[in-house]
Amino acid sequence: MKRYVGQSEARLDGVWKATGAAGYTHDVTLPNMLYAKILRSSHAHANILSLDASEAEALPGVRAVAHWENTPRVLYNGSAFAVTAASHFTPILDQYVFDNKVRFVGDEVAAVAADTEAAAEEACRRIRVSYEVLPAVSDPLEALGEDAAAIHEDQGWGKNMLHAPTEAGVGDFEAAWAECDVTYEGTVKLPVQKQVPMETSSSVAQTLPGGGLRVWSSSQTPHQVRVLLANVLDIAESKVQVICPPFIGGGFGQRSGMSGKAEMIAAVLALKTGRPVKLEYDRHEEMTATDSRHGGYVNVRLGAKKDGTFHALSLDPVLNTGAYCSWGGTMSMKIYTFGATVYRVPNTRHFGKTVYTNILPAGAMRGFGNPQAMFAVETAVDAIARKLGRDPIDLRMQNIVAVGDDWDNPFECVSTELAACVRRAADAIGWAEKRGRKQEGTLRRGVGIAVGRHVSASDRASGVFLRLEADGSLYMTSGVCDMGNGITTTLPQILAESLSIPLERINMYAGDTNATPYDIGGHSTRSLYDRGLAVINAADQLRQNLLEYAAEVWGEKSAALRYEAGVIRGAQNSWTLEELALYAHRHQRRFEVIGRGRDSTTAPWEAHAAEVEVDMETGVVKVIKVAAAHDVGVAINPALVEGQIEGGVLQGIGYALREEITFDENCVPYNDSIHKYMLPTAGDVPVIESIIVEANDPLGPFGAKGVAECSVVPTAPAIVSAVEDATGIRFLELPLTPVRVLQGINEARASQ
Amino acid sequence: MKYVMANSGADAVDILRRANGDGRVIAGGTDLVLDIAGGKYAPSVLVDISAAGDMREIVPREQCIAIGGSVTHSQAARSEVILREAPALAEACAAVGSLQIRNVATLAGNVVNAQPAADAAVALSALGATCVVAGEEGDRILPMERMYEGFGKSAVDSARELVREIRVPRRKKGEASAFIRLEMRKALALPMLNVAAAARVEDGVVVWARISMAPVGVGPVRAVAAEEGLVGFSLEEEVILRAAEKALEQANPRSNPLRGTRAYRMQVLPVLVARALRAVRTQLEKEEEETR
Amino acid sequence: MNQELTLTVNGEEHTLAVESGEMLLDVLRGRLHLTGTKKGCGEGECGACTIILNGKAVNSCMIPALKAQGGRVETVEGLADGEKLHPLQQAFVEEGAIQCGFCTPGILMSAKALLDETPAPDSEQIREAISGNVCRCTGYVKVEQAIQKAVKMLGEENS
Repeated sequence: MKRYVGQSEARLDGVWKATGAAGYTHDVTLPNMLYAKILRSSHAHANILSLDASEAEALPGVRAVAHWENTPRVLYNGSAFAVTAASHFTPILDQYVFDNKVRFVGDEVAAVAADTEAAAEEACRRIRVSYEVLPAVSDPLEALGEDAAAIHEDQGWGKNMLHAPTEAGVGDFEAAWAECDVTYEGTVKLPVQKQVPMETSSSVAQTLPGGGLRVWSSSQTPHQVRVLLANVLDIAESKVQVICPPFIGGGFGQRSGMSGKAEMIAAVLALKTGRPVKLEYDRHEEMTATDSRHGGYVNVRLGAKKDGTFHALSLDPVLNTGAYCSWGGTMSMKIYTFGATVYRVPNTRHFGKTVYTNILPAGAMRGFGNPQAMFAVETAVDAIARKLGRDPIDLRMQNIVAVGDDWDNPFECVSTELAACVRRAADAIGWAEKRGRKQEGTLRRGVGIAVGRHVSASDRASGVFLRLEADGSLYMTSGVCDMGNGITTTLPQILAESLSIPLERINMYAGDTNATPYDIGGHSTRSLYDRGLAVINAADQLRQNLLEYAAEVWGEKSAALRYEAGVIRGAQNSWTLEELALYAHRHQRRFEVIGRGRDSTTAPWEAHAAEVEVDMETGVVKVIKVAAAHDVGVAINPALVEGQIEGGVLQGIGYALREEITFDENCVPYNDSIHKYMLPTAGDVPVIESIIVEANDPLGPFGAKGVAECSVVPTAPAIVSAVEDATGIRFLELPLTPVRVLQGINEARASQ
Repeated sequence: MKYVMANSGADAVDILRRANGDGRVIAGGTDLVLDIAGGKYAPSVLVDISAAGDMREIVPREQCIAIGGSVTHSQAARSEVILREAPALAEACAAVGSLQIRNVATLAGNVVNAQPAADAAVALSALGATCVVAGEEGDRILPMERMYEGFGKSAVDSARELVREIRVPRRKKGEASAFIRLEMRKALALPMLNVAAAARVEDGVVVWARISMAPVGVGPVRAVAAEEGLVGFSLEEEVILRAAEKALEQANPRSNPLRGTRAYRMQVLPVLVARALRAVRTQLEKEEEETR
Repeated sequence: MNQELTLTVNGEEHTLAVESGEMLLDVLRGRLHLTGTKKGCGEGECGACTIILNGKAVNSCMIPALKAQGGRVETVEGLADGEKLHPLQQAFVEEGAIQCGFCTPGILMSAKALLDETPAPDSEQIREAISGNVCRCTGYVKVEQAIQKAVKMLGEENS
């Protein structure tokens, strides 16, 4: 019986957050601090012909103006990927702090540090810039066209191509395609979704005597921000400290790397003025000038044999990476690796393009290519089911990957309870009674289902630091931040379980590069899986060290000693942890270890079933219920797992029905505020039933896998499938706004 | 910029007079604060009327429900007399923004701000409300239709005058009103379309009807052709559908990148008008059952 | 132009000179160092800055500070009674209604204003009360559960 693992412990930072005591970057104020504002481009694509900051610099209270002529000309990429890249990838560096060219509406032209925000704002208005306006494009297919202007210099891949087309596959797709009894081909169109963390991107930068730099940051990856700042600003990494202080108001992938350019610009201005500088993005900047999810197109072809066996699958994306690469370098391949490994398909093919356009950069967002991939794949699976006259669940069950199956992934499928997830989700939605009911009249109901998997990655370079204090309590630090996911609760739970000590005796500190081992950061659904393994490893090391020390002191053989429930026992002696710690302290001995994860990953699995009601007169789709069943391995903290599922499902509903940033013909974004960006409110929440399907993962910490990103993956295809069940119309473009749905209904009526 | 709390409507008018065109009325401020921050207005005096003692209540009088010029959406949405006699207004007020916004934003401000999609204004228009506008020269009384002079342009000059009171006629037996709103999410959203309908039925036949809709033109737009088409008929399904189609005669919606294309709005507007009229019919049927 | 503002915040009276363009949020965070109240948008669209002014939940980012003249302000810092958490805070912690926590103070104040006025709200009233508070983490499910739990706790306290 486990005492801490599997328990819904209240999160340890809960009281901090419920009383207003929790500090975020927004709350950092330093003596003598200046405030920064950014002048952003109102053109989507233009060369800067001249820039005159003299009037701005002359304003009272203005301390520095930074722009392309007086900042480092060092190319970089603000994503964590650029500095954590696997050895076989070359990061694409395509950004300067400021450039003499702007590539989207909102691109940074200059920044001002002043005594007050108002003075900085006024100074921004006084900077004179003359532009040579260039043609701009927001659609990736158009950006590949002959008429499109080149947004970056051609690196040899073709105009506006971020990299060479990505290719992958197994078997012989073309031959297999010809052998299929039924086939489906379609192209789905995907929107630009925004993460919308509640704390806007922000940073406070402070120079330190001796050429150092201390930066408070809203990033999910403080260690990567440190490396990026050091590289561009030419400071030794060892002299740069990045602190997530200690809380972050959400991330959802957007801040896997820098928080927009907040850290870089605050640091540049701090170096120029020698004073602390605070840069807090306003909501408009947050919406229009930080990374988004990749939109674009995915062409999918799926072929099956008469008996329903999937035989050939191709996934060919053309993704919109916006004005800069960020995480875009890996995204097209992700469409394949996620999309082609949920079902057993012996013949697959992938040909992917990622394209520059003149819109905000696309980077990482919860799911990282997976929602896009599974929207395409599940569209095709439903179509094959329809063509074969098969129940969509039945067809899925026949084809989903099982443990030991071959798949085109560099790791093995060591556990999956996807089949159980499908059954549980289907039962919870009432699939048997509801699917395929004849629907008439104005309000029509339907149910749908979709599935997916994700990763939970580990990494040998990351670690946790663990110290036994003189009173037997434990202090643990990790360079990963708790951006809301609860790892500063679950990692102590794992430690408490590993060493059989009370949770109350553990204190964890996170997200400060000066106090923590190097860490790859909080992304790829790795925080719990990876650092959980590191915690167990640290506990193992500590336990071994304690046994060896006790054996040495007692003169016993360490192999004969045991560690049980916080007590070290030998043949003749025993010590509680407290007794040992105190004894060791008095004899100049401390126990400090760094635990490491390992180079491994495992797949969490998920199935979502949705029930919707469609208003045939207005095109409004209302979600009645989503049943979300997740194979998370062993749930370390079920309440926190449910929270991850519920939040992800609502983001998935937003992706399915409402959320998109659209652009006019000049590439000006319309949805630049919360008011204009339709993320769901409390009034829009359907019944969300989160179902935890436990599967003991042989690799995970206490059998756990990740969950964070999984919950946003199959929601949209499940909803679109339910809409098809209700209306007979399959929509290929997200989100299903009333306008799109009514247009679909009109077209279906016209073609009858 | 000086910030002054007015004690009464008359006090506010007096402060504005002394500011000589350089002052501006602030009530809830939910729009004005942004307008000032964005540089649209730069008054030397802001006259806050939210504490003006004579404008904070909803008072049922013999002929009308008098809604004070600083009554908030929350007050109106929960007012028993409004819920009973002008449910369209209560529903419209409950649909605006969020509770935090409704707790400060005033009905009068919703009208004076003159936005094309104002919810309360649409309901007030269908209810046949009038506005009492107080200025240096005394009061003038304007029907809702005359409160708008263009897109975002009010007939009230907030540098010199203010809406002191909004008067909604008391509901008589045989009268009902309803409000229908289509939006992209349940809160924090402007309507894609909103429609309010009110009617009087005697001996099973419509005596008068008022249908107001937005955003399909300047301010709330009355669907006069539809209204006329109802008079003399009973509110049967066929009659309702015919009238609903006629609502398009007065509608000239624009396309909005978020809240619906013109084509969408033209297709859905009659649906909403029909739904509002059906809601009116349901209320009247219920009243009849209760009095029987 | 500076004007004198007197207001009571969490039971304590303050008098300070403020500019007419200053918002209540700026005064709370910048002058009184009550940073529990958050700024999520500055435009009244997210509710992170929700406080209670004279018994009503409002967006403090949209309230000119001078509008609160003589007013009674409650912020998240005033919710707990010393070390003893308010039942809402207790329930939010216990139910897992908090993730990143940035929206939490605002939601707590919206919920407090609701319960002050409506001690036994139904689900619809709870949703109405918090639908102006955008939360991107929780999906609102556990938030609603926590408020319902606090209702029970308050009921037991008062019985």
